[in-house]
Amino acid sequence: MGSSVGHAAAPPPPAPPVGLAVALPPKVEQKSEKKVDYLNLPCPVPFEEIQREALMSLKPELFEGLRFDFTKGLNQKFSLSHSVFMGSMEVPSPSSGIIKVPTAHYEFGANFLDPKLMLVGRVVTDGRLNARVKYDLTDNLTLKINAQLTNEPHFSQGMFNFDYKGKDFRAQYQMGNNAFYGANYIQSVTPHLSLGSEVFWLGHQRKSGIGFAARYNTDKMVTTAQVASTGIVALSYVQKVSEKVSLASDFMYNHMTRDVTSSCGYDYILRQCRLRGKLDSNGCVAAFLEERLNMGVNFILSAEIDHQKKDYKFGFGMTVGE
Amino acid sequence: MASRVSSKGKGKAARGSRGSGGRWTGRCVKEWSTWAMKKAKVITHYGFIPLIIIIGMNSKPKPQLSQLLSPV
Repeated sequence: MGSSVGHAAAPPPPAPPVGLAVALPPKVEQKSEKKVDYLNLPCPVPFEEIQREALMSLKPELFEGLRFDFTKGLNQKFSLSHSVFMGSMEVPSPSSGIIKVPTAHYEFGANFLDPKLMLVGRVVTDGRLNARVKYDLTDNLTLKINAQLTNEPHFSQGMFNFDYKGKDFRAQYQMGNNAFYGANYIQSVTPHLSLGSEVFWLGHQRKSGIGFAARYNTDKMVTTAQVASTGIVALSYVQKVSEKVSLASDFMYNHMTRDVTSSCGYDYILRQCRLRGKLDSNGCVAAFLEERLNMGVNFILSAEIDHQKKDYKFGFGMTVGE
Repeated sequence: MASRVSSKGKGKAARGSRGSGGRWTGRCVKEWSTWAMKKAKVITHYGFIPLIIIIGMNSKPKPQLSQLLSPV
């Protein structure tokens, strides 16, 4: 029955070619493509998030030791968090690379999330405060403040960002302590490609820099490239193989230190767990598992094996609450 | 204490000369802005988390004080 219906709807056979059409190759039927409306391009991702898919897959928060996070929501907007960490933290030392320092701390945090205002504060037992504020001044203009305050003098840092979101572009102006000023701009050029650039100026060291970035994304893949005058070239490629699986790879070259690093990894987002793993050109293999045991209870395992430096880090933890 | 006295003395001398009046104003502004930044840093360090808690406890629906302290 289906075939007879199809046969009735079939168009009449084309007439035999005449004249010049005999000599020329037959015309290929044009596929109807959606015409690109260059005045109606989508808004690009913010400049600092240009590599976010690659960073999410390739750089999970690996840790060594025990980690326990408890988030308690008091109402829709306000929540408190308690976090305990016992293990080794890495402190970069100038002489022989990295020293591991055994630390244990308790961190108390409060979050307030409103559509217009977001306040996040975290205070650690040694007196360090980590504060983040995000306030929407208007529909398009956002103020972000990021600060790490310590009890030791001259170690505190703060940064003010003003973000403006246009129809198909985003612009950001940054001011930080130590007389740091920066600005960046990103624009959608086609529905898939966006180009951006940034400049920064460090007052106290009289250093300035400029960088360019490009991001091409479709439904299935994202590829980015970044070049900066500080001598850094960074490329990344993420392919979404299916709904549950993504593969990512990343390449970074530092011209000043002649350092090259390349890594590739996978990201499995399954119903009950999320598993991320990566392999590095420095001989480093890492994996990070978040397993959902129950509603709101997550079990975390983290492993990082550095064959070259003979550094083995394993961590486990639990996260309770959203 | 000694440095404060000496800087006040220097300021008076500069004001007296009148030629570098603008420089004295600039130095004053820088000193006061540094003092203000130090005070703002201390206020933020101690008051940021209490500020979030006060804003959160006054948002609707208003949570109870016991919910703030109990671990459940």
